[in-house]
Amino acid sequence: MIILDSVTKKFGAFAAVDNVSYTIQKGESFALLGPNGAGKTTIVRMLLDFINPSSGSITINGLPASDPESRKHIGYIAEQHMIPPYLSGFEYLSRHASLIGLSGKDAEKEVDRVLEIVSMKGLERKNSAAYSRGMKQRIALGAALLGQPMFLILDEPITGLDPIGIRDVRKILENLRGKGVTVILNSHLLSEVEKTCETAAIMYKGKILIKDTINAIVKGHETLEDVFVRYIEHENE
Amino acid sequence: MNNVIKITVYTMRDQMRHKSFYVLLGLSILFILSIRGCYDGGYTVNGKIVDNATVAWHVSKIVFHLIAAGMFLMVSMLSMKIFSRDHEDGSVVLFLSRSVFRWQYVLGRVTGTWALCLVFMFILHLTIFLTVWAKTGTFISGYLTASLVCSINLLFVIACVCFLSLFLPDFISALFTMGILFVGFISDGGYQLINSDIVRSAVPSSINLEPALWRVLYPKVFMVQAYADAIISKSEFHNMGHFHPLLNLSFFILLIMTLMLVCFNRKEI
Repeated sequence: MIILDSVTKKFGAFAAVDNVSYTIQKGESFALLGPNGAGKTTIVRMLLDFINPSSGSITINGLPASDPESRKHIGYIAEQHMIPPYLSGFEYLSRHASLIGLSGKDAEKEVDRVLEIVSMKGLERKNSAAYSRGMKQRIALGAALLGQPMFLILDEPITGLDPIGIRDVRKILENLRGKGVTVILNSHLLSEVEKTCETAAIMYKGKILIKDTINAIVKGHETLEDVFVRYIEHENE
Repeated sequence: MNNVIKITVYTMRDQMRHKSFYVLLGLSILFILSIRGCYDGGYTVNGKIVDNATVAWHVSKIVFHLIAAGMFLMVSMLSMKIFSRDHEDGSVVLFLSRSVFRWQYVLGRVTGTWALCLVFMFILHLTIFLTVWAKTGTFISGYLTASLVCSINLLFVIACVCFLSLFLPDFISALFTMGILFVGFISDGGYQLINSDIVRSAVPSSINLEPALWRVLYPKVFMVQAYADAIISKSEFHNMGHFHPLLNLSFFILLIMTLMLVCFNRKEI
């Protein structure tokens, strides 16, 4: 379970995240939606302790986000995920495997498993400098899936992926449903969110405008996109 | 602690991927081997013929310090990019998105760079040691011990450059550290010179000159070199103040590392 309690993050006088509180239950597939600069990535960075909240608290599985132990079961993909150019995909995944405590044959097996999942088998020995953006995203997704994490934090995971890649990610996320994995998905692609997530929150200017199940947010003949636009336009008025 | 070792090993491996590392090592060894011709010549000083072993011994001591000075430059270049490169290529996210403490990451990076440079310097010093041994049959005892003693200087430079690179541009942080070393070189070098046998016999009153407090407390990088020199020469070491230079430098390393960890803990990734 992830709990954000009155979390605020200020950069100088500007509040990137403004008094945000919500709880993400275990096994929930949760989407964080909002236009650029809404504060979605700031929340993700606070979850991973890359930045500290100015006030409020974040707990992951009962541990404060500042405790590295809280990241033990987290898989993470950054928006435009970077892989050191001197590492091959295999080396990158092996390092992740080693950092989560896998070694020897276990690590090799696990790396092999995720390479199959992200369709990068056969390409893993190439230097990552030679990978396309989509291939890097696939390797990053593989790293996030290593060790069967309890939490997946995906910040724009389908950026740079081709339609087949997008479909693969959707399938992976659908497979994780019902397996107790908590997914936090930041995405601009609302149609994908509708297909893969159960709950969503719409953020704007650092505040949560609505958080509910997608079925409750989207009513009648509206799509998630319609609702999203309606909320943002209402705030702009 | 396990993570520190892992990151140390990764750091060494990553640095060793660069071809320039091997080119530099090869060129340095070639340079050292090229001076072996000095040991063969016939030298006369003040009308007395100097034997090959004495020449080799003096040349080795000079090259010992030249290598150390070259290593300061190399270490600064390597360490100034540690944090900025990790930030640019995603390495910092790789480590810190896992259950790695920030101090483990910093310590791993610093230790890895230090270990690599220590080995690099030791190989060069070992090359001289073996060359002298092979050419003249002279066994300069203390030479390799002195090399290990000097490695603390490398750690100081790494810690200093890394710490400064958290606030200053990479190149400026390396330059600033070189400046710190240069001031120490002038201050401690002057002290060593005043206390040398030649100056003491020429100007006996110089012995009574007490150095200013800041000179006594200043990081004793040059003094460690002088101490290493004394180990090789088996001569008397003229220390400045009551604290041994190794103690002085250990204190500064500890202080800088602590400050670096505190600052890095507050840094936004």
